[in-house]
Amino acid sequence: MNRSDLRPILREKFPPERTYLLPALHYLQEEFGHLPDWALQTVAWHLRVPASEVYGAATSYSELRIDAPGRHVVRVCNGLSCWHNGGRSILERLSDEFGVQPGETDPDSRVTLEETPCGFLCPMAPVVEVDGRWRGRVAAADIPSLVKELT
Amino acid sequence: MTSYDQLHEAAQASLAASTRVIVQVGHCSQAVGATQVAEALQAELSGHSSVDLVIAGCDGACFAAPQVIVTTSPNNIQRYSQVSLDDVPTLVATLTSGDTTGLPLFVKGGRGDLDSFFAAQTRVLLTRCGYIDPTSINEYIALGGYRGLNGALSQSPEEVIQTVLDAGLLGRGGAYFPAARKWQAARAANGSPRYLVVNAEEGEPGLFKDRHIMEGDPHLLLEGMLIAAYATGASETYIYINAEANLSAQRIETAIEQAQDAGLIGEDILGSGFDCQVTVRRGAGGYVCGEETTLLDTIQGNRREPRLRPPFPAESGLFQRPTVINNVETLSNVPMILSEPVPPELVEGHAEGDFPVLPPFVKGGQGGFSSLGLDSAKGTKLICLSGLVQRPGLAEVPMGSTLRHVIYDIGGGPPPGTDLGVVAIGGPSSGVLPPTELDTELRPGMLHPSGVVMGGGGIMVMAEGVPVIDVVRQLAAYNAAESCGKCTPCREGTPRMVQVLDRLASGHGSTTDLEELRYLAEIVGAASLCGLGQMSGGPINSALHFFGDELAGLIN
Repeated sequence: MNRSDLRPILREKFPPERTYLLPALHYLQEEFGHLPDWALQTVAWHLRVPASEVYGAATSYSELRIDAPGRHVVRVCNGLSCWHNGGRSILERLSDEFGVQPGETDPDSRVTLEETPCGFLCPMAPVVEVDGRWRGRVAAADIPSLVKELT
Repeated sequence: MTSYDQLHEAAQASLAASTRVIVQVGHCSQAVGATQVAEALQAELSGHSSVDLVIAGCDGACFAAPQVIVTTSPNNIQRYSQVSLDDVPTLVATLTSGDTTGLPLFVKGGRGDLDSFFAAQTRVLLTRCGYIDPTSINEYIALGGYRGLNGALSQSPEEVIQTVLDAGLLGRGGAYFPAARKWQAARAANGSPRYLVVNAEEGEPGLFKDRHIMEGDPHLLLEGMLIAAYATGASETYIYINAEANLSAQRIETAIEQAQDAGLIGEDILGSGFDCQVTVRRGAGGYVCGEETTLLDTIQGNRREPRLRPPFPAESGLFQRPTVINNVETLSNVPMILSEPVPPELVEGHAEGDFPVLPPFVKGGQGGFSSLGLDSAKGTKLICLSGLVQRPGLAEVPMGSTLRHVIYDIGGGPPPGTDLGVVAIGGPSSGVLPPTELDTELRPGMLHPSGVVMGGGGIMVMAEGVPVIDVVRQLAAYNAAESCGKCTPCREGTPRMVQVLDRLASGHGSTTDLEELRYLAEIVGAASLCGLGQMSGGPINSALHFFGDELAGLIN
């Protein structure tokens, strides 16, 4: 997809008003998995909002991604209930298994490993999110199969 | 145009009496396989018309999830906890054999656990949550739903405001401001249209209560929202749902469609002449998005930053129009103020064959909102309990219940062989308490002068031996990461707190560090625009107060 493909889609989906900025950014992330520069610029044109302000808004939200993640995204919750219930060692194990530090993507772009502040399912601690799906009551014994799943 | 009585009659007629199998699928239970259990049961039971399979939300007993509840008659209700795919064949065989009198009981969590978890609660708001089909408006209406709205529409908006003011409903988002006072102020303000915004951002770590309501009883929120909109004179409402709460958004959107079809949303609602439109918006992450003026700016397409107040949103809010912002739990309390939560006759003496039946431990209609709680804070509060307790989950207790009641009577206390340590309450904007403070009452306002507040109602329990510095550092790091950067004291001060805490934790702390922490907490608290910065010193101040010796011991 390029700018000229995206413009008619935006025209159809969102009236050209600033209030549709966040819905448009959500659409980009769903479509591309992140927010490519050229697409942000196209949204700016369509909504008639300065590109710098679109970029400013986009980078201020923690769930929006500016950089393309790996093929898989693994997020480990570091909220208090998870962290002190095994979350910390799960993150360390995954970091070893994938050979990346939290916040990094491995050189083959296989996986991006991240910490996330709260998954809002604290009673299921510790929780890990794999490609958008949360897994609760994760034990150290679950890690080998989790790692094997991600190719 | 349909009247409420017609809706209610049709709703009751639509409910078939049969064996009811409820699978509780919510945000939490999805993470432990509830969806797979539900799909397996659906596939196995699809050919059996005598069994009515319902995918409900969760009732808050998260420790028992995934839960399956089988009701063959009002007096024969079986609960199955921690059900896995392996259990499905046994369950199906019994259900389809026709003889359900001796259903197998494979309660892995222990039946006693569930009983004590519920017995120690006062369930009013959560009466239906987890037991009705959240995608069926008929079940909600059959159990007395939308009666509060119907009653409100027959009164003037001023009367509705007065009723809710008299009932003493305080906002449940963390600030505990009288909800109807906001309606009154926006109603009195000039400007059109007026907006009502439902704050369903729920971005405070440790919270999952609003999600439970939206997933388990979405029409309850819609009804409360419509009553508030009517009282405010708002013709447009926005429901702003957290970016990650996909299931909540799905079920709310379904509920909105059904309410539109039933004439409860849109034009001339129930023939009253009141018009109201609803739009769902999704957040995109960030604690500060739950701050009400920030939330408005994100809807308008701006960066996530709070506004300077005044003007308050009631005068100049969304698109500079008079706006009321209420939390999900706040609005969900409104219907029961206008009518009793669930008609008692449907809960107590229901006849054999009446469906849907609520499990017997759910008590409806027990005096409603104002008879519960404290004089200064009426009603119940949803508490999100997690960490080192045997029964973590979502609980409902009267305002003023003690921490001990929640952690021990409901949560079962720490598992055998472990002891209670630091208790973090109210998320990163609040504080930490030692086990000696368990008699603290959960209520609005300061729970301790060092800055401990209830916030949205999250309680996270740590084991004995978890160093308080670890807990405080984690909360401080969260605040530093979430600071939007608009106010210099918060932007610069919150990372400085983390630096000092790191220095202490690594054993390189100096004697001036504790004083510096106190100083930073004071400056950031005094000079920040929004609650995030203002309250960011809470964990530090409360830790200095209660755990001063432990912290001082870190300095060589």
